[in-house]
Amino acid sequence: MTDEPRSSLPGLDAALARGLTSRRLSRRNMIKLGGISVGTLSFASILAACSSSSGGTSGGTQAGGSVNFDPSTASDHVNFSNWPLYIDKAHGTYPSLEKFTNETDITVTYNDEINDNASFFGEILPQLRAGQDTGRDIIVITNGEYLAALIANGWATELDPSFRPNFDKNAASWAKSPFYDDGNKHTMAWQSGLTGVGYNTTLVNKAPTKLDDLMSTDFFPASSVGVLKADAPDLVMINLGIDPKTSGQDEWTEAADWLTKLRDSDTFYNAYDQGYVDDLNAKNLSGTMAWSGDVLYYKIWGGKPYEFIMPEDGALLWIDNMLIPANSNNPAGALQLMDFYYNPPNAQMLTEYILYMSPVPAVQQLIDKHAQQESGTLATQLDETAKNPMLWPDQALLNQVSLGRNLTTDEESKAWHDTFDPIWQQ
Amino acid sequence: MSTVVSSDVVVIPEAPVRTPRKRWTRWILPVFTIAMIVYLAFPVLVMIIYSFNVIPTTGESERQTTQFTCCTVGHWREIFKVPELNHALLTSIAVAFPAAAIATVLGTFLGLVLARYTFRGRGMTNFIIFLAIAVPEIVLGSSLLAMYVQLGVSKPLGLSIPLGYWSILLSHIAFSIAFVAITVRARASGLDRSLENAAQDLFANPRVTFWRVTLPLILPGIVAGFLLALVLSLDDFVITNFVNGSTNTFPTWVYGASRLGEPPQVNVWGTVLFTVGIVVAVLQVVRTRRTRVEA
Amino acid sequence: MGQAPADVKGHIPQGVELPPARAGEHALERRRRLAAYFQLLPGWLYLFIGFVIPLILIVYTSLTTSGLFSTGGNATFSWHWANYSDAFSLYSNTYIRSLAYAAIATTLCIGLAYPMAYWIAFYGGRWKSTLFMLILVPFFVSFVIRTVQWNFILGTDGLLFGPLKNAGLLSEDFHVLRTPVAVIAGITYNYMPFAALPLYVALERIDRRLVEAGKDLYSSPSVAFRKIVLPLSFPGIFAAIILTFVPATGDYVNSAVLGGPKTTMIGQIIQNQFLEAHQYSIAAALSVVLMGGMLIIALIYARILGTEDETLAAA
Repeated sequence: MTDEPRSSLPGLDAALARGLTSRRLSRRNMIKLGGISVGTLSFASILAACSSSSGGTSGGTQAGGSVNFDPSTASDHVNFSNWPLYIDKAHGTYPSLEKFTNETDITVTYNDEINDNASFFGEILPQLRAGQDTGRDIIVITNGEYLAALIANGWATELDPSFRPNFDKNAASWAKSPFYDDGNKHTMAWQSGLTGVGYNTTLVNKAPTKLDDLMSTDFFPASSVGVLKADAPDLVMINLGIDPKTSGQDEWTEAADWLTKLRDSDTFYNAYDQGYVDDLNAKNLSGTMAWSGDVLYYKIWGGKPYEFIMPEDGALLWIDNMLIPANSNNPAGALQLMDFYYNPPNAQMLTEYILYMSPVPAVQQLIDKHAQQESGTLATQLDETAKNPMLWPDQALLNQVSLGRNLTTDEESKAWHDTFDPIWQQ
Repeated sequence: MSTVVSSDVVVIPEAPVRTPRKRWTRWILPVFTIAMIVYLAFPVLVMIIYSFNVIPTTGESERQTTQFTCCTVGHWREIFKVPELNHALLTSIAVAFPAAAIATVLGTFLGLVLARYTFRGRGMTNFIIFLAIAVPEIVLGSSLLAMYVQLGVSKPLGLSIPLGYWSILLSHIAFSIAFVAITVRARASGLDRSLENAAQDLFANPRVTFWRVTLPLILPGIVAGFLLALVLSLDDFVITNFVNGSTNTFPTWVYGASRLGEPPQVNVWGTVLFTVGIVVAVLQVVRTRRTRVEA
Repeated sequence: MGQAPADVKGHIPQGVELPPARAGEHALERRRRLAAYFQLLPGWLYLFIGFVIPLILIVYTSLTTSGLFSTGGNATFSWHWANYSDAFSLYSNTYIRSLAYAAIATTLCIGLAYPMAYWIAFYGGRWKSTLFMLILVPFFVSFVIRTVQWNFILGTDGLLFGPLKNAGLLSEDFHVLRTPVAVIAGITYNYMPFAALPLYVALERIDRRLVEAGKDLYSSPSVAFRKIVLPLSFPGIFAAIILTFVPATGDYVNSAVLGGPKTTMIGQIIQNQFLEAHQYSIAAALSVVLMGGMLIIALIYARILGTEDETLAAA
């Protein structure tokens, strides 16, 4: 994809393309994970016994002690896999990565191959199981089941906290020690975003403010409301006053009942893995659970009459996390790169381009200053970026949002899926 | 010999009274058929027409819109604009031709032998071929993937099949062989053995008989099998989707892109492939016409 | 065309004592047979490795338990028949729905394709093959594209319904997508050639003179049709039924693209179980049940028809 020259509203253009192919909008469907997961079963028990290859089971558990993160031991190359349009780009190069190479003499190969958590997880699963190098030194995974599985099986290299000074100094409170990774032993946040409600102002009967409004024909015409399958349970629990992080089967059943009611109400149209934007644009939907980036992008760049709101009772926060897969070739170099992005000027390069919630609060002031130095549309844009509350959540906003449930055992996973999947698979 | 004696009355049955066929009933079937042809072609027509749709561009990513505004050849000019799509197309072609070729070779022998000889395991082979056609694709796709991944994990003999071009190719050959086999078998079992026997009586050894007599006789079946395998491979979605890892073929890419909305280049390429198909079909019809005339 | 019996071994009749001078032919025969086995081997081997083994693997998988967190995805084989009972208790509805959709779609396919095939075969004359080609030609375009196009066409405010709604002919709420109608229509559309082809082949083969005779003997052309053409086309109908019904039951693209939560078909569940729920053991069990069901139906049909050769020949 070509990138726009820096001077013309870089952030928005990137956000445009970003929203269009946003990290959740997968070009590939998600079957692959299933198929690949199948492969993990089969003759494993027999062959693992006979197989001479190391670590047939959950290979490569690496304690922090056995991996050396001292920068002096870093080799000169890092493979960084990420979601599309999730890094600054100009004229075919990545300015922030170039800056990193200039500072450290470590070259970075950047691959925006991750289109959704499940299928990417499935792709690296066989190598992880076999205890092999996955060929990637940094990957970015959203908090949730797959991240938990990586950590639980020892497939996320434990990080040495003594080698990330920028993180310790500059990371936001919400990025430090998230409940799913105490002490940031395995992950460091890349960016964050919100799930709320997006709607078409010309098609709705009345502007919604609460999640319950999705069910009501006072607000939405019949057969025109969408649901994001993966995020719905958490979002619903938040709006029912439940903290998803500590929820149990009873709370899940409550949320499932609410979702069933929504599914059976007149307003419901369809449930999506991530393809709701297309239906929104085709006017099959008048409103839907949505990711902030997608809706705002079409609103600002597509000129569509869309609006994104956080429901009154709360929105869902998600965090995309950097982690080093097991058996990485260059963990020291990878950690250096991860920490590099916690230096405010470097984080600023990112946020000015991709417009998501940065884990480095100091960037806000830097962007503000930058806005004052520039003029014209660029200045306006930077100014908007610096002032957007969705990007720089204050404590009030943070109180209104919550991270979702982390599934950490097979029983939890089965119970969760058995509760929520059948709603959309009648 | 019977003679009709004048006193015998030969009763000729009354000709059945036929209601004079109303003119309009003669038109029901033809009109219906034409209507069905249009219905079947409708999405393709939409695809062709929308390849000329003017799209209000928003940045570099264009997606098809419902609104039709005439007309632009811009998408045709920018036919190679979406690199992932181009790559997927190349992959599709790079898989289809080799897969069809190999499947044809293997399947031809299979079909030939099945048509002519009894041997132990003949019933079993027939059953396996029957299975290959009857088993739902989703079952086959998931089981193939299981096998490839297991090979990758346990690496017997140090071999493994990477998920991508090779796994797609091998999978396509697997399901195409059976289709080629039954096509060739159908053709071969209808053959008159006397031609081959005559050739052998004329002192041709089996190899010569095969190349000079048998092969040309079953060639239409082989060609039909090859084309069938080619189409099956180009159009395959379900099995490819399971085994392709991160490599996309044209159908899998289109399916993934449909989540966000298709770029107009999909319509353009669809039209191109459609045209190629028509040309091939026309050539085929012309060829059979000509051979019919000659025969 | 002269037909050699399919089981002629070379050209030595069985049980015949050969005069000494021709004894050498036994050796020739053996060589010929070895050659046959040799030709057979590569294809057979490939089919076995590429087809039979994976199927065995999935049956094996269906009797395992596994968990992403507890075993890192490794499966333990434990004759876990509970997978099958789970599959039936949770998803019998979906199986039935898939069978129902497929049955309706197959009926529609045959009902629509038969008149078409009949007219072309009997009245097409010189243009027979061209007309039939016209039916098949749209299917040169990938079925994914065609299904996605239907999604595009049938949208709430789309090509078809937008103008109708603007003209006030349809209520604003009207929508076809996400209903069973859309899914069944999609399946019918996509599997039409599987029905049309065998029907056409069977109808085309019917000797016209029989029909002529029938018209002379019976009271009207429609009775002649019923008594002559229809029975003669039964092999084609049977082939069409099985070639359409079996793949349609396992289809998931149509229900994924055109359908909604209430139209889920078993193919979608299988995918979903593999992916979202990571219940691959159950997913394998679901697959095996689907495969088993289809095999049983296919075998029953083969029996009805006499031999599988005929079924496939008719195809």
